[in-house]
Amino acid sequence: MSDNDEVLLKVEHLCQYFPMGGGHELKAVDDVSFDIKKGEVFGLVGESGCGKTTTGRSIIKLYDITSGNVYFKGQRICAGVRSYNDAIKKARAERSAELSALKKAHKKKEDGTYADGKTDEVFGKECEEVRAKYGTVIADQRAARAAAVHDQRFCDKDYSEKLVEEIKSEFKLEEKLAAASGDDERKAVLREYKDQIRIAKRDRIVNRIQMIFQDPIGSLDPRMTVRNIIAEGLVIKGVRDKEYIDKRVFELLERVGLVREHADRYPHEFSGGQRQRIGIARSVIMEPELIIADEPVSALDVSIQAQVINLLNELRNNLGISILFIAHDLSVVKYFSDRIGVMYFGKMVELASSDELFAHPLHPYTKALLSAIPLPDPVYEKNRKRIVYNPIAEHDYSVDKPSLREVAPDHFVSCNDAEFEKYKQELDK
Amino acid sequence: MENREVKLSVKNLKISFRTDGGKVQAVRDINFDLYKGETLAIVGESGSGKSVTSRAVLGILANNAIKEGGEILYDGQDLMKISEEEFCKIRGDKIAMIFQDPLSSLNPIMRVGKQMTEAMLINGKINQKNCRRDFNTTLALLNDNMDKALGANDENIKARNKQLCRDFDRFECKHLELENAYLLAREACIEAIDAIDDALFRIEKHASDGLKEDLDEIVGNSKKSVSRYVVHSRADELNALVSRLEELIKVPFKKQVTDFVKRVIKRGTVTDDVDYAAVSEVIVKIKDILAEATGYVMPNFFAMGYYLTFSQDPLPDMPIDELNVFLRKYLDDKFMLEFIRIAEEGMRYSAAQSLEHKKSAIAVLDEQVNLFNDKLEKNTAREAVKALVSAVESGIDRLDIVKDNVAYTFRSSVKAAVESYFDGIIRNRKEEKRYARQKASYDKKVAAGKPPQWTLVDKNLVDLASVRGDIIALIDRVKSRFINYIDGYQSIDFDAKAVDMIDYLKAKASGVAHKVTHSVAKTRALKLMEEVGIPEPRKRYRQYPFEFSGGMRQRVVIAIALSADPDILICDEPTTALDVTIQSQILELINKVKSERNLSVVFITHDLGVVANMADRVAVMYAGKIVEIGSAKDIFYSPAHPYTWALLSSMPDLDTKEKLEAIPGTPPNMIYPPKGDAFAERNKYAMQIDFEEQPPMFKISDSHYAATWLLHPNAPKIDPPKAVTDRIKRMRVRGGENVKNVSEQAATVDEEEPESQEEGDTPEKKPVAKKTATAKKTKANGASDKSVPTAKKTATAKKTTAADKPATKKPATKKPAAKKPATKKTTVKKDGGEK
Repeated sequence: MSDNDEVLLKVEHLCQYFPMGGGHELKAVDDVSFDIKKGEVFGLVGESGCGKTTTGRSIIKLYDITSGNVYFKGQRICAGVRSYNDAIKKARAERSAELSALKKAHKKKEDGTYADGKTDEVFGKECEEVRAKYGTVIADQRAARAAAVHDQRFCDKDYSEKLVEEIKSEFKLEEKLAAASGDDERKAVLREYKDQIRIAKRDRIVNRIQMIFQDPIGSLDPRMTVRNIIAEGLVIKGVRDKEYIDKRVFELLERVGLVREHADRYPHEFSGGQRQRIGIARSVIMEPELIIADEPVSALDVSIQAQVINLLNELRNNLGISILFIAHDLSVVKYFSDRIGVMYFGKMVELASSDELFAHPLHPYTKALLSAIPLPDPVYEKNRKRIVYNPIAEHDYSVDKPSLREVAPDHFVSCNDAEFEKYKQELDK
Repeated sequence: MENREVKLSVKNLKISFRTDGGKVQAVRDINFDLYKGETLAIVGESGSGKSVTSRAVLGILANNAIKEGGEILYDGQDLMKISEEEFCKIRGDKIAMIFQDPLSSLNPIMRVGKQMTEAMLINGKINQKNCRRDFNTTLALLNDNMDKALGANDENIKARNKQLCRDFDRFECKHLELENAYLLAREACIEAIDAIDDALFRIEKHASDGLKEDLDEIVGNSKKSVSRYVVHSRADELNALVSRLEELIKVPFKKQVTDFVKRVIKRGTVTDDVDYAAVSEVIVKIKDILAEATGYVMPNFFAMGYYLTFSQDPLPDMPIDELNVFLRKYLDDKFMLEFIRIAEEGMRYSAAQSLEHKKSAIAVLDEQVNLFNDKLEKNTAREAVKALVSAVESGIDRLDIVKDNVAYTFRSSVKAAVESYFDGIIRNRKEEKRYARQKASYDKKVAAGKPPQWTLVDKNLVDLASVRGDIIALIDRVKSRFINYIDGYQSIDFDAKAVDMIDYLKAKASGVAHKVTHSVAKTRALKLMEEVGIPEPRKRYRQYPFEFSGGMRQRVVIAIALSADPDILICDEPTTALDVTIQSQILELINKVKSERNLSVVFITHDLGVVANMADRVAVMYAGKIVEIGSAKDIFYSPAHPYTWALLSSMPDLDTKEKLEAIPGTPPNMIYPPKGDAFAERNKYAMQIDFEEQPPMFKISDSHYAATWLLHPNAPKIDPPKAVTDRIKRMRVRGGENVKNVSEQAATVDEEEPESQEEGDTPEKKPVAKKTATAKKTKANGASDKSVPTAKKTATAKKTTAADKPATKKPATKKPAAKKPATKKTTVKKDGGEK
């Protein structure tokens, strides 16, 4: 459990729509906001198709998000433009509506005067005012949109430029060159400097986020040895030092519970659990600060599941890595996560610490989800009553739209005003 | 439980696979019975042989599978020996399977609807044929026995019997015709009521989605529900209401066109101007009428069929209650009582005959069984088999509805066993020759100082004595069955049996009458799709599998399995790929179907939570063997096998906080199955004997068996690990009263072994095997008992118990005593073969 409040990842109003053809859109993720603190495990649960995986993939920029912002370590890494476009469109529509209303009122009568009794001059001035009012709004939105586009496209470049600057200022090339004696030494210093600059130039902020995939068989290239698979990230990053790569690979193999001899084998020679370990080693080698674990244990046997969960737990305790843990097995999520977000059809419906969520579920969907967990206890199971969630029956959102509100400290539920009161009372009981 | 009908019994099943690396022994000698209406869950890691077992039951093993031995008895047949054509009749129709991977078990280029109806259509035809055959043969047999029972020579009696059977045949057809019409109308009525509820709900919530469909359904179904016995008195009223409703919801053609333009071309929203207040008023009235109609008593169509067939008078006009009484009396007077009496006579006669035959068969069995104690001669053995088979088969009561699996499969089993004996003789001879040849050449090379690269393959001989033992066991089994029958003969209730027989005939007749046409199959498929929770079934019916998500695909597979209305349902990890909500929906669905149709279910999974939900009994499999079997309560509240403990402690539940106890290592390579207990290498409680000998099944209670040496009376007492005991404690708290008796049992067990408590609780990872081994070493070296340090408590305990009890103790007499000092086993653990 992390005690500090340093926010590592902040997701704001994330929307990810997919065009479905015929002008329709699939709202895979719709207005999801949450943040992950440093060293924390954040669990994301929900039924299949509710957008858990899409959320994870959007964060790591595998998709271009439609709208919203994602901040990683304070820097915006993803930004969508839909919200700005909508705002501009709305402003334009309002402007033309207002203008046409003005024009309508400013009708010339038969006797040459105007219906609203204004002169042309006043009318023109009023129109100008309206135009100016909306003009600033639109200009602001446009500027914001341009910033968003820039961040979305060039956040990695900005990051690497910053790194390069840092190295340039910290390395003190001139002094070292001056201090070095002889050509060889000077060359060595120069080479080191160039190496660092190259690596920094290629570095991307998204490298600090790594992903573990669900299917341990499908996510490893069958034609690469384990060493190549694990080292691939480093190689792409620009590391050329073979010894260093080997050292890191061996270190990681041992960390995830494999042995050095495994480095030259191929993925098909391993069991499912071991393959998943290779996947974990591959993501950890980039020294990430956040790992997005997309159902890492769903495809594994029970006994192997425990091994992998223990491993992830170890990594998190020893390396202080934050984990976004996406899964549908609630017992595992409960065991592993500090906080849990529950998603339903692309929306976050409840967000709380794991103990709180399981002790006091508020949203009816969460209740339904929790009531569906099978436990290894026959008597309990035979008497378990599943709660059915029917959104039409549970909510009346025709008038009052819901939003994510804080019902208790650190306990957020998607609700409208009436439900908000209801949930509060429920908690007080 | 003993009295329940055994649906499927698997005996000594052995299956291996030929692979490039060698012969993989996937299933090694497993036994279980599946009772009618129960769920047996098979739990284990992947590769433990769960799926192979279920596939063997269904006869869909891969091509490289070798059926090494064993029997799967179902409905008087041994499924290991029947031909592919015969299997086609059973597969899907009688035994259905839900597969693990929904993607590969659906045909990608066929529409889902076609895949669902395909089996129904094929099976429907076969089913009809089979039912007709069964009906005819059983009735003929009954007729025959009736004749014999009442004196075969009297022509009058014969004619009367024949007439009775023919009459039964005739009016049964009429009965089904009437009943089908009634059922259709009634079903329509019930569906209309459901649709009305739904529509009212939608109107109340102002949700226009799907409302139109609901209203259409109401109209259609209400019209269908008008029938002589469903909505009869208020039919006119209903018709008026329905036509009013139709008027209300009718959209003029012009508006339909403009709506279409608005919705599709301009992408706007469509306003509908249906007067919902009036609609709801009308449908509430319709609901009243229909609800009243569903309350009516169902007429006795069976009797009515008789009346309409044979009586000249029209049906009397009276309320249904009175009509039923009248018809019943009419039927009983004219036909039924006599028919039952005579059928009973016939069955009594048949049973008496079979009793006599059985008695003589036992004599034959007793006589012939001695032959198999000694070496067999080909001719005498075959003669003996012939005699045995004819004796046993004459002892079968053909009129018994519940088939005696053992007697029915006796012929094929005993023949196969005898043949394998003689084959074995030949094979053994060849094998001896081969070995001698190879040995000679090997020795020659060694003598020449050039040891060859290849190794000498051991003799692979068929154990003839054990084959003979199998035959004797077969004979004994039949004998004990017959003796049981003879003992219980006095208490057979022939009256009830005759009624059962008539019910059986009725069921078969209904099978003949229910013709499955395309439209019937489609409606059934749509209904099933709705039942398994696929929304918009009509649209989905025409889609291809790739258009479905994983969960939906799995539902389609389940719907296909259920469509055949099977006897036994095998579920091979049906919910592993699904999320919890859908998982529990599907489990509920399977449970519902199970209780409705009294299905037997074999449920294969590795999720213990699901097992707890579904199972009546649980079998835990590891490395091709059942290591523990018992009722769900036995397995979860007092597990006995270390593997079960490990499984229970390796998965987190909602209260787990501490580190999970993963099972170290991987399952053994089944090309070279371990000599001793397969789990020993990963078991921290393993003892020396676990590496040397396979444990037999120890009986814990009547329903609970486990194969672990820990249960041997000479073994040290070891408690389950803390994670498991904690979990059981939590479950007791949660379960409250219900588990009281179980917990009491467990508590007494706890009290018996307070000393070993700490031993089990120590989180020490060090395998006890080592301790035991070292302890034994010290003993072997002649060290005195007192010098054994306290840390080796287990070993001490074991040794003292071993010393206290004489070595004659059954069943593993000398085993615990005969120990070698072995440290080599520890190396096995390290090299846990991660391939």
